Amino acid sequence: MTIKKFLLTFTPDNVSEPVTYRLVKEFDVMINILRAEVDEQGGRLMIAMEGSGMQIDRAVKYLESSNVQVQELKEFIRKDDLRCTNCGACVSICPVRAFVMDSKSFKVSFLNEKCIACGMCVDACPPGAIRLRAQL
Amino acid sequence: MKRTYEEINQKIKSGDAVVLTAEEVIAIVDRDGIEKATKEVDVVTTGTFGAMCSSGAFINFGHSEPPIKMSKVWLNDVPAYTGLAAVDAYIGAAELREDGDMSYGGAHVIEDLIARKPVRLRATAYGTDCYPRKEIDTYISLSTVNQAYMYNPRNAYQNYGVATNSSERTLFTYMGKLLPKYGNATYSSAGQLSPLLKDPHLRTIGIGTRIFLGGAQGYVSWEGTQYRTTAAERNGVPTGASRNLAVVGDLRDMSTDFVRALVFNKYGTSLGVGVGVPIPILDEDMMRCVSIKDEDIFAPVLDYAVQSRGRKPFHEVSYSELRSGSIEIAGKKVRTSSLSSYAKAKLIAETLKRSIQQGEFLLTEKVASLPEDQTQKNLDLHSREEVS
Repeated sequence: MTIKKFLLTFTPDNVSEPVTYRLVKEFDVMINILRAEVDEQGGRLMIAMEGSGMQIDRAVKYLESSNVQVQELKEFIRKDDLRCTNCGACVSICPVRAFVMDSKSFKVSFLNEKCIACGMCVDACPPGAIRLRAQL
Repeated sequence: MKRTYEEINQKIKSGDAVVLTAEEVIAIVDRDGIEKATKEVDVVTTGTFGAMCSSGAFINFGHSEPPIKMSKVWLNDVPAYTGLAAVDAYIGAAELREDGDMSYGGAHVIEDLIARKPVRLRATAYGTDCYPRKEIDTYISLSTVNQAYMYNPRNAYQNYGVATNSSERTLFTYMGKLLPKYGNATYSSAGQLSPLLKDPHLRTIGIGTRIFLGGAQGYVSWEGTQYRTTAAERNGVPTGASRNLAVVGDLRDMSTDFVRALVFNKYGTSLGVGVGVPIPILDEDMMRCVSIKDEDIFAPVLDYAVQSRGRKPFHEVSYSELRSGSIEIAGKKVRTSSLSSYAKAKLIAETLKRSIQQGEFLLTEKVASLPEDQTQKNLDLHSREEVS
């Protein structure tokens, strides 16, 4: 089983399409909605999809055939290790514990696979070492 | 067992001084005991790297042709104070641009200068017979100015409260982002590495003490602002904000590794400053002081939802609890974040240790002591009569 994260972009015409329902019902993938937004431009949905590689591929093909723009997200945020002072301000802010303070070196590492792109860490970083790469 | 400054400096010069960091010495005392450790160790180095808002730098720009007596000064659009002689100014770390932008302030100007970047200088003046020029717009750098020295009125606080938030909304404070309903807690002391916690009554630290400041050799110049000696003590060290230092050092010898501009969202800018103080092991008492551990140093937990100077602490927690990643507040497990960098504090203590071992950093005996008995006053509304 793998987990991949995607940004789905909908046009105003297809925002009413119940894609998450179909993904679960017909493609048997587990969907975790990370962020969602609808406005005049259409809609954007950030999801984590869990399933076998084949299931995910089929689900993505379905989305593309429904005119949903699909972008796989591999890196939500980036921590500039030269700018980072390893204070640890981000550690208690992150809801999914993607920042970890090493108990020996007292350095902060970022676990990309845990990140859900909430962005809460960005304005909590005093030296400004964290930048959002993917945004809704 | 007694040891003098002269003996220690003699050993440093001959390369024989035994120097340990405040973290390393804990293990030695645990293993060998106070008496043996005192005999073996000459100097213990400390370090801290945290947000120190009361920081800034004096700069003398040199005279223009024709000369100007600056009455308003901006450095990269950040106002600097120039109510001094013609071309002297003080740039404070917490000063912001006048458009309300909080992403760049005096702290960034200082970091840019240390990084050898050009900085735009604009100044206006009313013009005098001796200083006829009324405006100037030019670029300066650390190599074009006559003096540029950091003078920080309040650094290296001896302990500090832990911040949390009982309210329903996120608070943006100088203690960082505090999540609603005790969503997190932040603290800001290097604990067992922190300079003033290792010599709690400032027996060896006073005016004239040579220190590590931002990568340079600096000096303690005075008591820091809001210096107080009245905080309650536990295990011989204050619980909560107490003493602190006014320090001075040359920007030219500093490094951006140890001086870093910080932004606290919706609060403003601050300066991350690295301070390290070497502590001479004069006797067993001194060794006992420097070997205190995180588990024996406590800080009060304060609710920043209470917008008052008189916040009552919930309870006290030790630095080993804080560093474990969570503490308990009001029956809830609350995750903790440090705002001062322990990794940098260690690096500072190690850097200072190396400089002493290599004979580049000699210890100084204080010229005068800092106050032994001092309270902190409040600002209240008074009539003229009440204060006269």
